[in-house]
Amino acid sequence: MASPVLQLEGVSAGYDGATVIRDVELTVDPGEIVALLGANGAGKTTTLRVASRILRPISGTVRFEGEDVGRLAPHLLAQRGVAHVPEGRGVFFGLTVAEHFRLGYRGERLDLDHALSYFPALEALRDRRAGLLSGGEQQMLALARALARRPRLLLVDELSLGLAPVIVERLLPTVRRVAEETGAGVVLVEQHVQLALEIAHRGYVMSHGELVVERPVEELRRDRGLLIASYLGEGSAEPALQGVPGTGGRGG
Amino acid sequence: MEQVLAFALLGLGPGALYSGIALGVVLNYRGCGVINVAMGAIAALGAYVAYGLRTGGYLFLPPLPLVPAHVNFGGPVGVVPALVIAVLVCALTGLLLDVLVLRALRNASPLAKLMATLGLMLSIQAIILLRFGSSGQSAPDVLPNGPGDVVHLLGVTIPSDEFELAGIVAVAAFALVAIYRWTRFGLATRAASENETTAVLVGLPPARLSAMNTVLAASLAGALGVLVAPLTQLDSTTIPLAVVPALGAALLARFTSFGIAMVAGLGLGVIESLVTYLQSRPWFPTTHGAQLPGVADLLFFAIIVAAMYWRGGALPYRGSLVERRLPAVPKPVRLQRPAIVCAVLCITAFLLFTYDFRQAAINSLIGMLVCLSLVVITGFVGQISLLQVALGGVAAFAVSKLSMSAGIGFPLGPIFGVVIASLVGVAAAASALRVRGVNLAVVTLAGAVALQSFVFDNPTWGGGFTGSPVNPPHLFGVDLSTQASFPTGGGQLPSPVFGLVCTVAVIMAGLLVASVRRGRLGQQMLAVRSNESAAAAAGISVRNVKLLAFGLASALAGVAGSLYAYNFGSVTADRFGVVNALVFVSFAYVGGITSVTGAVLAGLGVTEGVFGHILEKWVGVPASYQLYVAGLLLMATLITLPEGIAGGRRPPPPIRAISRLIVGPGRARRTSAAVGATQGGATS
Amino acid sequence: MTAVLETRALSVSYGGVRALADVDVEVGEGQLVGLIGPNGAGKTTWIDAVCGFVPATGETRLDGRTISGMPPTARARAGLGRTWQAAELFDDLTVRENLSVAADRRPMWRLVGEALTGRESDPPNVESTLELLGIGELADVAADELTQGQRKLVGVARALAPGPRVVCLDEPAAGLDSAESRALGQRLRQVVDSGVAMLLVDHDMGLVLGVCDRVVVLEFGRVIAAGPPEVVRRDPKVTEAYLGRAAQESQAILDASAIGTGT
Repeated sequence: MASPVLQLEGVSAGYDGATVIRDVELTVDPGEIVALLGANGAGKTTTLRVASRILRPISGTVRFEGEDVGRLAPHLLAQRGVAHVPEGRGVFFGLTVAEHFRLGYRGERLDLDHALSYFPALEALRDRRAGLLSGGEQQMLALARALARRPRLLLVDELSLGLAPVIVERLLPTVRRVAEETGAGVVLVEQHVQLALEIAHRGYVMSHGELVVERPVEELRRDRGLLIASYLGEGSAEPALQGVPGTGGRGG
Repeated sequence: MEQVLAFALLGLGPGALYSGIALGVVLNYRGCGVINVAMGAIAALGAYVAYGLRTGGYLFLPPLPLVPAHVNFGGPVGVVPALVIAVLVCALTGLLLDVLVLRALRNASPLAKLMATLGLMLSIQAIILLRFGSSGQSAPDVLPNGPGDVVHLLGVTIPSDEFELAGIVAVAAFALVAIYRWTRFGLATRAASENETTAVLVGLPPARLSAMNTVLAASLAGALGVLVAPLTQLDSTTIPLAVVPALGAALLARFTSFGIAMVAGLGLGVIESLVTYLQSRPWFPTTHGAQLPGVADLLFFAIIVAAMYWRGGALPYRGSLVERRLPAVPKPVRLQRPAIVCAVLCITAFLLFTYDFRQAAINSLIGMLVCLSLVVITGFVGQISLLQVALGGVAAFAVSKLSMSAGIGFPLGPIFGVVIASLVGVAAAASALRVRGVNLAVVTLAGAVALQSFVFDNPTWGGGFTGSPVNPPHLFGVDLSTQASFPTGGGQLPSPVFGLVCTVAVIMAGLLVASVRRGRLGQQMLAVRSNESAAAAAGISVRNVKLLAFGLASALAGVAGSLYAYNFGSVTADRFGVVNALVFVSFAYVGGITSVTGAVLAGLGVTEGVFGHILEKWVGVPASYQLYVAGLLLMATLITLPEGIAGGRRPPPPIRAISRLIVGPGRARRTSAAVGATQGGATS
Repeated sequence: MTAVLETRALSVSYGGVRALADVDVEVGEGQLVGLIGPNGAGKTTWIDAVCGFVPATGETRLDGRTISGMPPTARARAGLGRTWQAAELFDDLTVRENLSVAADRRPMWRLVGEALTGRESDPPNVESTLELLGIGELADVAADELTQGQRKLVGVARALAPGPRVVCLDEPAAGLDSAESRALGQRLRQVVDSGVAMLLVDHDMGLVLGVCDRVVVLEFGRVIAAGPPEVVRRDPKVTEAYLGRAAQESQAILDASAIGTGT
């Protein structure tokens, strides 16, 4: 088995000295989709920001394909094959769709056909400015732009933000296809829990900056208590949490 | 009608200079978010490099240890090689600025970045003065300019280079548009300037993009400097200050559109030339039979203000990785002890010092007042105003005119002067309430230029060329002037009495500013500074707080201006000019723009102040090198201490040691340990 | 019952996109009203419009008096408080100063006089508000040294310190851990019971459904449901909006959260 694409080992990180995530342990294998779940403010976005190195961890190790990249400049990590589609603004509003695929660092080859094979609808929008696209089209463009780089690790943050469920239902299965066909590892932060669980292989649940649950999705789908407890406020279903490692003994 | 057309077309040449500098400013802003006020100075640098090469066959170098003043090429250099070398020198300057200075300031506040480019501007001006003197030169022609090189158009004859220059900037603007639309570099810059975080996430290198844009901008400005120099005056201020209309053009273009910046630059040149034409008409108002000075500058200012309303407030948002803040604002622990210690120090100094140090100390004290004004408006409220020195000038000329024409002397004259300065300041603030940040810096810079050339240079309202005299101050028959007799001081000017007057003014002003910072008013100012929306939601009237702060800051500047008037017995325009204004802002920033301590340090450092005099008298640095040293120090300080010497949370140890001596020990400041001790969960 | 704060047909458009469409919300005397909805539903936009930070059409009334068209400061002084998602504390001030600068509503000339004489006085309410939210120990800490959770609490305290009629809270529990979140819920309840009406936007469904008297649900800028928590919880439109399809499973989640939050 190849080494994991992404390994976070005991990673803590935050902003301005305030720790937002603590001791996060997370691995993603090639071709694997990992769903990162949890309530707003639980630290999911921060985890992705550390994984793509736009946030430097306070402590712990970030490994990309086995190599410690904790000190690498974020644009160099991106050039090695990490594609991070950030929450909300993964596109440049001032650039046209076509320009997004001409935009690249020196020596980069963007595979437009590869990207369009997943999102044929973009073909018709080539000359439109990204700022004039609908929310769903923008997210499609952001994903397509990421796929055109043939990334080995894809980090997707809140793809469904502000989108109608029907659009999300079309976008998310594409992520699954990408992982299966290209062997890329995927971390998916998603508020549509059901949809995320349908396409992911494993799920992590974060609560207040810590990973509290790590299970195959089948178990998460089966055992609703785990999810409910962590996702909708763990105070809501205390009994279900008992016996889950990692949830006890947190400060308060 | 032909004449109007002729004058309009004659404005194309100078307009091309404004255009070229404006294009450079826009490029630099899009590349790394800095408003580069040194762009005009870089154009002048290019012009002087070409001048040296073509007339003397040498390349001049900046004054540095072990570096010769010139590199000789053994005979005059041709036009094309001179142009190429000049552009290369400017490109190298841009590269050094980006890599050594701007890169270190990437996460600093926009004000810190603007100050750094100001440091470069002052340094370049100083180098020009040191190498070429202050008398000015005339540059040899670059474009063909013989008797036959003219264009006949609709009955007028215009030198063809006017059109060629306009054509060159037009081509440059279209080339930039094309580069930004079609090349990888241009697309990447557009992406990075829209959202730096996302750009990094797709693998774009922001540092390299920034450097490439800065180099491109500097090269363009340098080339235009070489080309336009023959049409204008070659000296240390004319081309560097062409950055003011250029900034106006860039502002009209919202620091984004090359096309608008180019057209606006040309347009401002044409307007300026048309003003010259109108002034030749018999019906145009004159002063003492001479032309009104500064009409074009006033018009530029009006256009910039109108543009702010027309094009809306904020600059395009640059998504950046780190949120930028102004330096922290320390709260004074106690007031009495430092006030008494400083008073005793000053009195002792004026009793013991020789006349030259007394003069330097007076200059420093007045400088402190100007810097205190900047502490209130920029440090406390976060509004970058370059108008304060000019407001001092308003008070100074008011004192002079009231004293000479109306016979109103001390103390009524200065009181009126301060009131007038405050009113002008509040009026300026009221018209620019929605303008903030670096936009306000550009608007107030244009305002300062307009005040200087339209009011201060006017022989009736201002000082003209000769200056405007002031009667010495007397209070209840006691002479308070620089000539007052006093037991010590050896009878030389200035009298210790005037030094004591300045001491009293500075200590009262310092106490007032410190007291404002400690009280609710200061808290409201800081609330406005940190977030205007949140302040409004908390019931704080953002408008009133800003107006009050502008009023207070203008009053302090007015006191400084009045003391200047009495200090020299005559008020001249250049003392309150825009170059001095920029120098003061930079000293205030380096000293520490957020505290009284910072203002005191800044005052000691100002030109002709105590530090400068020590450098000149004891270290042997001639006064002519001080501007050069100041510019370099400004950049060096910003790189090492981006918050200024006394501006940060933790000033350097010597400053802390001195302030402990003056303020007293035992600053009762809580430690971070207290933070973790509460609420458990979130911190554990 | 009279409404302390109400909006009638409140609409906001951003460049052609309707962020809020004809939204009616009512916060009654002594009520704690929850405003929920998926990300991007328009909850923060509603608060921004009510507080005067974005131009809106329709009517906003405070204590029966229309405040539409008034600038934010005037609305605040009329008794409308708010908090911000990112807390937006005044970072150069201490916690106590953050509260007193908001609570001090004296005219400016009084403050000028105070600065000239150098005397300071703290407005009432500040200490008691700090105690009410359990952050008394933080009073002298600089705001930029607080943790995110502490910042949120200080933000709430700052909104309450002037003694407003009604406060709009924008995600006060984000960044708090569950114990803190529950404690916050109880404290908000106490505040409401003491006579300050409150509108609460939060993603912590346990908190909102547990402490609120009424809940309004937004989706894509429109009200899709409103009523007591137990009614809203059973509304299939709500579960679908919140959790996408598989509505029955989502319903199960909401039911379960109801069991746990019987506070």
